[in-house]
Amino acid sequence: MKPDSARLLDVFAVHLMTKVAPALPQAYQQGDVSVLGIMLLAVKEETERAASRRIEENAALRRLFETATPRVQDARLRERLAEAASSADPGLTISELECANIALRDLLIDLHAHVEELDSPEARRLDQDIWHELAQSTERRRLSMGAF
Amino acid sequence: MDTLEARLCDYIAGKLRHGSGVRVENLDRIFGGASRETYRFVLHWKEDEADHSRRLILRRDPPSSLIETERAIEFAAYRAFHGSAVPVPEALWLEEDPQYLEHPFFVMEELSGFEASPQAITQPPYSDHAAKLAQQKWRILGEIAKADPSKLGLEGIMKSVAPGECWQRELARWEGVLDEDELCPQPVIRAAIRWLRRNPPPPAQKISVVHADYRTGNFLYDAEGTIHGILDWEMAHLGDPLEDLAWSINPVWRWARDERCGGLAPREDAIRIWEQSCGLRADPDALRWWEVFSSVKGQGIWVSGAQEFSEGTNQDVILGLSSWIMGNAQDRAALLALGRLPS
Repeated sequence: MKPDSARLLDVFAVHLMTKVAPALPQAYQQGDVSVLGIMLLAVKEETERAASRRIEENAALRRLFETATPRVQDARLRERLAEAASSADPGLTISELECANIALRDLLIDLHAHVEELDSPEARRLDQDIWHELAQSTERRRLSMGAF
Repeated sequence: MDTLEARLCDYIAGKLRHGSGVRVENLDRIFGGASRETYRFVLHWKEDEADHSRRLILRRDPPSSLIETERAIEFAAYRAFHGSAVPVPEALWLEEDPQYLEHPFFVMEELSGFEASPQAITQPPYSDHAAKLAQQKWRILGEIAKADPSKLGLEGIMKSVAPGECWQRELARWEGVLDEDELCPQPVIRAAIRWLRRNPPPPAQKISVVHADYRTGNFLYDAEGTIHGILDWEMAHLGDPLEDLAWSINPVWRWARDERCGGLAPREDAIRIWEQSCGLRADPDALRWWEVFSSVKGQGIWVSGAQEFSEGTNQDVILGLSSWIMGNAQDRAALLALGRLPS
């Protein structure tokens, strides 16, 4: 479909911020509509990467779990990790990818807490890998308009 | 007419024993702040055969808010600091009975003609006075830290806490908010919480009033670089004064998009001004604990807003924006404080 959704959101955002907001009588309404415009720009940025960042992250988490599985001492956690490592995204819609992502990130929390209790060079390496993935996951979600 | 203006007018008329001809005019909602609905208005009345008018602020609880806060404590904090070295507006009436305006509220003086925007402070003419504003910002925070809660009359109003228990109480509170409100896993913040429990800070040097949202955006300033009022005391409590210092230098408030805390001053300058003002020491390890904690608390606030927005209990557009942008920035701030953010 044309115009692209990104183009539509861009135009709508500018329209709200430069045409609609200044024409409103009250400062509260102006602020409200201006934030709607800013939010549309954020939605545009997120929409563009919504599928790719989840596919990338879900794959990274499965690789991490595959590496971690033989190093984990808890049998039940090892089983969950092995199962997650061999799983696949159920589909390519955002809601399907998000559902898988939530389950994988829940498991990441359990794995991280477990690894922190272990005292071995292997566990420390795994801990480093997890922190690396946490930093990556934060970058994947970063929005350009953020102050930090 | 049963407008908010009319109901507010009736309420105030009942409070002004010696006044008559009470009128409320120009009631106008102020944008921003999702924990209270804030309105400015002008009150007119006659007293001793003379006409009077005063610019006032109405702070009313919304149906649901970003964080569940105690309006009586906020009101008491304004009253306690009024006329002190900590500039605040005069608080006039607190009403917790919802029969008047549907929700509890309080009325206070409007400090008018000043700016509060965290973005404006990074632009001329305000940015020309960044150093002066920074000096006042952290000096006033030092005054809050230095103040004696019992002399302020706040000890019976705010829950008491022992110096060694401040961190546990605050961490339990915000972990509880995350447990209750998070809509998706928070692996960075959960790791931060475990780190905080493994590395407890030393006991507080003293029990202070903690403003708890002391940052650029919550004070009024002018174009000559003078701060005129510290606002938004809705999360105020007794605790470790380092909690406020850490919150004030959290990287998520770097509005100038550079290293300056709150868009005003480098971290070390902010800490030095605060130490000189209150006479306390910001022990680096203890301060680091509170910096990590401040990102847990911040994420608690953003997650709570996201939950309110998603549930439909509060769909203020600012909640949608803060959930996305501030939520991500808060994870980055946590990683930075933990030494895990790649340079």
